[in-house]
Amino acid sequence: MVLLLIAVVAVVFLTGAGSALYPPAPATDQAREIASLYDIVFAIAVAIFVAVEGLIVWSIIRYRRKPTDTDLPPQTHGNNFVEVLWTLIPTVIVLYLFVISWQTLNNIEAVSVDPDVRVHAVAGQFQWQFEYLDANGQVLATQSVPVADQGGGMAVPVGRTVYVTLDSPDVIHAWYVPRFLFKRDVVPGQTNHFEFTLDPSEAGQTYRGQCAELCGTGHRVMLFDVLALSQADFDAWLAALIEKSNATPPPLPSGATTLTLSAENIAYDTLELEVPADTPFAIQFANNDPPGVPHDADIRETDNTTVVQDQPTIDGGTSTTYTYDPLPAGTYTFICSVHPIPAMTGTLTVR
Amino acid sequence: MATHALSPAAVAGYRGGLYEWLTTTDHKKIGILYVINSFLFFLIGGIFALLVRAELAAPGLQLFQNEHVYNESFTIHATVMIFLFIIPMLAGLGNFAVPLMIGAPDMAFPRINALSFWMLPLGGILLLMGFLTPGGAAAAGWTSYPPLAGNSPLASPGPGQDLWIASLVLIGTSSILGGINFLVTIFKMRAPGMTLFRMPIMVWTVLVTSILVVMATPVITSAIVMLYIDRNLGGSFFNPESGGIAVLYQNVFWFYSHPAVYVMVLPAMGVISEVLPVFSRKPLFGYKAFVFATAGIGALGFSVWAHHMFTTGAVFLPFFSLMTFLIAVPTGVKMFNWVFTMFRGQLTFSTPLLFAVGFLTMFLIGGINGAFSASVPVDFALHDTYWVVAHLHYVLFGGSAFGVFAGIYYWFPKMTGRMLDEGLGKVQFVLMFIGFNLTFFPMHILGVKGMPRRIADYASGAGWNDWNLVATIGGFLIGLSMLPFIWNVFVSLRNGKVAGNDPWEGNTLEWATTSPPPPYNFDRLPEIRSERPLFDARHGLVGHGEPEPGPALLEQPAPSGEVPAAPDDEAGVGEQTTTGEDLETKR
Amino acid sequence: MTAESRAVAASEAHGASHGTAVAGHAASRGISNPVLGMLLFITSEVMFFSGLFAAYFATRAANQPWPPAEFQGLLDPLSLILVATIILVASSFTCQFAVWSIRRGDRTGFIRNITVTFVLGVIFLGLQAVDYSILFSEGLTMGSGAFGTTYFTLTGFHGAHVFGGVLMLGVILYRGMLGQFSSRHHDAVEAVSLYWHFVDVVWIVLFSVLYLL
Ligand code: HEA
Ligand code: HEA
Ligand code: CUA
Ligand SMILES: [Cu+2]
Repeated sequence: MVLLLIAVVAVVFLTGAGSALYPPAPATDQAREIASLYDIVFAIAVAIFVAVEGLIVWSIIRYRRKPTDTDLPPQTHGNNFVEVLWTLIPTVIVLYLFVISWQTLNNIEAVSVDPDVRVHAVAGQFQWQFEYLDANGQVLATQSVPVADQGGGMAVPVGRTVYVTLDSPDVIHAWYVPRFLFKRDVVPGQTNHFEFTLDPSEAGQTYRGQCAELCGTGHRVMLFDVLALSQADFDAWLAALIEKSNATPPPLPSGATTLTLSAENIAYDTLELEVPADTPFAIQFANNDPPGVPHDADIRETDNTTVVQDQPTIDGGTSTTYTYDPLPAGTYTFICSVHPIPAMTGTLTVR
Repeated sequence: MATHALSPAAVAGYRGGLYEWLTTTDHKKIGILYVINSFLFFLIGGIFALLVRAELAAPGLQLFQNEHVYNESFTIHATVMIFLFIIPMLAGLGNFAVPLMIGAPDMAFPRINALSFWMLPLGGILLLMGFLTPGGAAAAGWTSYPPLAGNSPLASPGPGQDLWIASLVLIGTSSILGGINFLVTIFKMRAPGMTLFRMPIMVWTVLVTSILVVMATPVITSAIVMLYIDRNLGGSFFNPESGGIAVLYQNVFWFYSHPAVYVMVLPAMGVISEVLPVFSRKPLFGYKAFVFATAGIGALGFSVWAHHMFTTGAVFLPFFSLMTFLIAVPTGVKMFNWVFTMFRGQLTFSTPLLFAVGFLTMFLIGGINGAFSASVPVDFALHDTYWVVAHLHYVLFGGSAFGVFAGIYYWFPKMTGRMLDEGLGKVQFVLMFIGFNLTFFPMHILGVKGMPRRIADYASGAGWNDWNLVATIGGFLIGLSMLPFIWNVFVSLRNGKVAGNDPWEGNTLEWATTSPPPPYNFDRLPEIRSERPLFDARHGLVGHGEPEPGPALLEQPAPSGEVPAAPDDEAGVGEQTTTGEDLETKR
Repeated sequence: MTAESRAVAASEAHGASHGTAVAGHAASRGISNPVLGMLLFITSEVMFFSGLFAAYFATRAANQPWPPAEFQGLLDPLSLILVATIILVASSFTCQFAVWSIRRGDRTGFIRNITVTFVLGVIFLGLQAVDYSILFSEGLTMGSGAFGTTYFTLTGFHGAHVFGGVLMLGVILYRGMLGQFSSRHHDAVEAVSLYWHFVDVVWIVLFSVLYLL
């Protein structure tokens, strides 16, 4: 019975699951290095597993006690030769694994002196932002929509070196793209970095990315996408982003009420707002949290989920004027879509 | 084994009433209390695990209203399993077995022993009380990294996290006191003739474990005390805004928690090393190598902590990678020694051996997939995915917990005087073994395919649905496997086969006394001339040559002249032993 | 372990589980159980302080200049703290004298020396309280960034250990006055003195690191 089970596990391990245990197709030069290292590690691991598990299974099949076994089996207390043998062989194996791992590590950690693209990724609870920098580290444009579904994503050109720096204003997050076979923590107070180069054949692909370090209630919604574009597409994309960043907001209709609202320490300064019914209005919104902590002020029904009017988030340390369309009288909720917690959920009375 | 009836008074003293159990300082009773308490917490932790599995069975949030409850669930699941189940369970088995195995009447400090135990339920209650507080229980993972475990609005503002800290300080103190107690007991209270290198491997593993506990547990205390100061007293150890360092906590935490994973497995390895020889009718292969490997694991264990931090960008990768690879070597030595213990033996597949073999086969997988992560680039891909969840359950459940059940089935007769039912035991094993692999093997696949851990939900298009469902089914199967066990314990306590002193033909001293043993353990002790005194008493010193003198760590008496060498026949143990009274009068 | 000492250990454990006093009758040879237990406990305490010191050095390395400009010169070794240091070091000596007294069987000398040690310990705590209030008035608190946090955590935990030590000394003193110790029977004294020396050594390291380095 037991033997059967172990055999089944072994078979699953070797056949069906064996291929399932292979990582997704690597997309970057670095990922390819990791994948080929994984191949070797995996092969050695399977070999060790089969050898040792085989020995165990064979021993328990072969050496069951038979009714005829009344005398004691030979009382072997040990054997120094085999002890040395099974100390040395694994040592050699792990030293080999260490050396090849180290080599791969050096390759994937290498960064170029003058990378082609520089991206500064800022991960805050619970949102990603990608700043495109010029060679001097000045921000050219900010991509604050992280996922492709919403027309966003972190676009990068294929075949070019992309140098990413990582920062967090709040807790620890991690930048993880499964098809890059890579992740790196985003640690507050410490700027991490890494570099990657996409294979030219990858142009047009989108890769799913996700925060991989528990960062609170919204951990699982910290999704992002990486878009692989040809150089020409990328240039156009970046130019459009720069233009959008520089665009001025539309003027406020005349006669509109303007309120002020600010956010600091992940809390609004007030949770009660009042506006006249059926007139457009505006909120001068200041985000006084540190850069990387985005906020907004959306209007929802009081059930907190039905969105009435959506506003884009703004980064910490900036302010903006949100304009809203007229609302019928009643009570609504104004809420930060990034931080739907009580301290950022207020009541908007329209009368 | 000659039988000597236990005096009725001794039996009465052993059974005792409730008050007797609550105030006991007898190591055997305390050991049993540990086991019961830890098992109850295993069920509690298991229920949280099943909630987690239920939530993950399919995409979409079904069970929980929001992610916070999910985060609380796995945090409390892991905290309970590690600090209130596996560590105390192993300490409990040690508590029961170690004094018996070295021929001591009790632990060195019986009352401190009782204190260590009673801190555990208290700590557990504190931890669970978090659910009654406004912010809920701790929800930052069992590792509780700041700043997330700090008190900023979106981190962990409520008292739940503080209760977590208080509870862990309490449990940690309990471990440290327990560790000191074990060390003094082992160093100072061994029976005459029980040299260090004749101690059962179980005692060796408890010895090394205790050293790890005494040296490492205070370090986690310092880590979480600093966390407490940051949270409540305005401190800035881990707060980068005021000069703190976020990854500092991780360094201090893992400096404890890596050695702690060996605290969580070494005694289970000890159990296996007792069970395999007995049911193979052979001595443990390579006793000395085993001892050195255990010590080696303990020593190396302090130099690998940063393998949990490969992706932080703040540790020196090659060093920690090398050390992590190297730690596979002593564990490998043990693995081969276990296999060669069975090799050319005569194996009886009683339940303890089944669980021991379960340990071998599953721990092998867990160990090897741990070694995967030692390769830093591979860990970049696997870190914080379900691969790690698979690894930790293969070593902790497939290893330690299987070892725990092997130990419970093995010593239950000694603890209670009755055998557990073999049939039910096998049912439990089979259910548990299948359930375990169904639950945790798919997690390797999920991990490689990029499913991060600690997420309450996943997109249905990510390709993770099927394996998650399989894992959930497996998880409930494990839960089911507990029912025959619980049933078995209740039925066998009343109606189980009477065990007698030595139902398994054991090798070590605990089988020389009655089941259950009298309050001071031994009326008489067989002479100890090897690591298998009872075997020697039964069969003579086979394959040993002259017993060698013990090492010079503690002075040992020369084999005493009054006692004749153990005879070769089966009968004579009773007559050939030295009694406590003898010793006393000889003074 | 000899047959004899095993029997002693047996009777000791026997006594303990019946709740009678078990001050630790030394095994006739080698280190006694309470002393070994205390040494192990001290080991664990050393590791606890190592964790705190590691945090201190890491934080210090990451925050230059150290001390921060605003607190420059605040931790002056040539101040009240030097008096406190001398007192604590002196108490270690008197504590050792107490141990030697009782080893000789000199109970009055023992009580005298322990009393002095106890009083010195209390004075140290008093001086530390005064020192804290001075620092508070200068604006250094637990909340003043990494500098304040590490300072008060390290000295605070040390102070708590001194407090614990003073309590133990109190118990020893009380039991000594009841005449419970003799030249053959004083393991508790040995154990407490070890602890007291440990507390002293921690302070010397702390003083050097915080004030001199
Ligand atoms: C009982 C507990 C236990 C044990 C024994 C181990 C044993 C090992 N662990 Fe594991 N580990 C955990 C519990 C444990 N671990 C937990 C709980 C976590 C997750 C913590 C968290 O983040 O929540 C973790 C995480 C963890 C990580 C971090 C993963 C990550 O987050 O990215 C790593 C990385 O190196 C690792 C490595 C190892 C290694 C190399 C061993 C080795 O000791 C294993 C050695 C054994 C063998 C290798 C098998 C037998 C050997 C042979 C047959 C010889 C031949 C073999 C070779 C040549 C390879 N473990
Ligand atoms: C010894 C340690 C141990 C043990 C035994 C287990 C046992 C189990 N664990 Fe756990 N687990 C951890 C230690 C352990 N785990 C750790 C350290 C983590 C990491 C946490 C973190 O990320 O912080 C983790 C995380 C973890 C996760 C990942 C969560 C996430 O990252 O999002 C999952 C998911 O499936 C899981 C599942 C399970 C399951 C199904 C079991 C099963 O084996 C449980 C079996 C079920 C039972 C035993 C219940 C039996 C109860 C009954 C039958 C009811 C009877 C009731 C009465 C009689 C009253 N565990
Ligand atoms: Cu950000 Cu998880
Ligand atoms: Cu580890």
